[in-house]
Amino acid sequence: MDSFTYVNIFETKGLEYLLLLSFWVLFVYLVRYLSPPKKPKNTH
Amino acid sequence: MNQTATVTGEFSRFMHFLFQEMKPRGPWLTPFNIISIPVILTGVVVLYFRFRYGLGAVTNLSQETAWGFWLGFDVVTGIALAGGAYVITFVVYVMKADKYHAIVRVTVLNGLLAYIFYGSALLFDLGRPWHAMNPYIGNSFGFSSVMFLICWHFMLYMVAEFIEFSPVIMEWAGWEKARKILKGITLGTVILGITLSMLHQSGLGALFLMAKPKIHPLWWSEFIPVLFFVSSIYAGLAMIIFEGTISHRVFKDLIDPEGHRSFDEIIFGLAKGAAITMFVYYFFKALLFIHDQQWELLNDGWGAWYLVEVLGFVLVPALMFAFGFRHRSLNIVKIAAVLALLGIVLNRLNISFITFNWYADVHYYPSWQEIVVTLMIIFTEIWIFRWFVTRMPVLSSGHQKS
Repeated sequence: MDSFTYVNIFETKGLEYLLLLSFWVLFVYLVRYLSPPKKPKNTH
Repeated sequence: MNQTATVTGEFSRFMHFLFQEMKPRGPWLTPFNIISIPVILTGVVVLYFRFRYGLGAVTNLSQETAWGFWLGFDVVTGIALAGGAYVITFVVYVMKADKYHAIVRVTVLNGLLAYIFYGSALLFDLGRPWHAMNPYIGNSFGFSSVMFLICWHFMLYMVAEFIEFSPVIMEWAGWEKARKILKGITLGTVILGITLSMLHQSGLGALFLMAKPKIHPLWWSEFIPVLFFVSSIYAGLAMIIFEGTISHRVFKDLIDPEGHRSFDEIIFGLAKGAAITMFVYYFFKALLFIHDQQWELLNDGWGAWYLVEVLGFVLVPALMFAFGFRHRSLNIVKIAAVLALLGIVLNRLNISFITFNWYADVHYYPSWQEIVVTLMIIFTEIWIFRWFVTRMPVLSSGHQKS
């Protein structure tokens, strides 16, 4: 089991970018989901 | 002469006080005592055989599998679960989130005891435990070894946590001057403790970097140190929720009214932190999975086992934490904490020995003696924890913040 395999780091870049984009979109959504709803402003 | 008499008088007063405090309190025949005492006694007997006849007499360890349940659970998992201390002290003393001040003392005590017991458990696993002193006394320092970093960090962090907790001991002993001095150095100690924790939590992961050919590729990554560090954050938060829930019930008479009132809000705050951390950890795992092109590895039993860990014990509890926080459900948050803890245990055991030598025909599994000694360590820690909590102002806020 002491063999090493060559990994082309550019082969998966497209998927990695897509994953990161989805992470940021979902992260913003998660933070908004976990933020308490804003109280309505007093109009007086 | 007067000063000597004062010191002698104070010393004899303290010794008398300590003797009184050592006496047992409360009923003896509780379910916990009935279960824990025989286990602890059996563990002591097993340890006698371990030190008398060697590791082979009581463990299933071999030349092929040198690290087993004691190292995998006690040290690698136990230290991750003790991560709550550095997270909470960071939040309270550095971020100034006073909301969590009520749980600082109990969390630091938990962390300190965990390091003392789980760190010391490493001695059981060393073939020649007396060599454990070498990194400290300069007999083959081994600067380039990850073990060197971990040895020093464990020792320094235990000292840091003891100093963080010492104002409580001083308050209990009635030494006001010493309490004030120690309270004054808390912030510096906290910063040192956080730095040490970040490094040795990841250092524990770095121990496995050299085992690339032996650990299943789904679990091995060059980013194991970062994964260990990030997961120790939510492991600590989940542990505080789990332990806090039990303490809140068992020691309810020792908690002041303010502690009872703020308990729910603290748990929800911790749940929010855990949800965000687990979300980040999950995507980091996904990124590594894609980058290393591991789709084909999911086709066998190991792949299914990996999905159980990552989906069932990371993604599911992360969503449950978020849902529980949003819908103010303590029960969901508590279940999520248990799942997250199981996930951490599973992850650390997978890396330590379950997927270690995954291609071998014969696999390691812990002997009953290994499990009994681990239970002995856990039960002994709970006994000591109970002694501290029932004697010192750990769960109450004390007369001043410390």
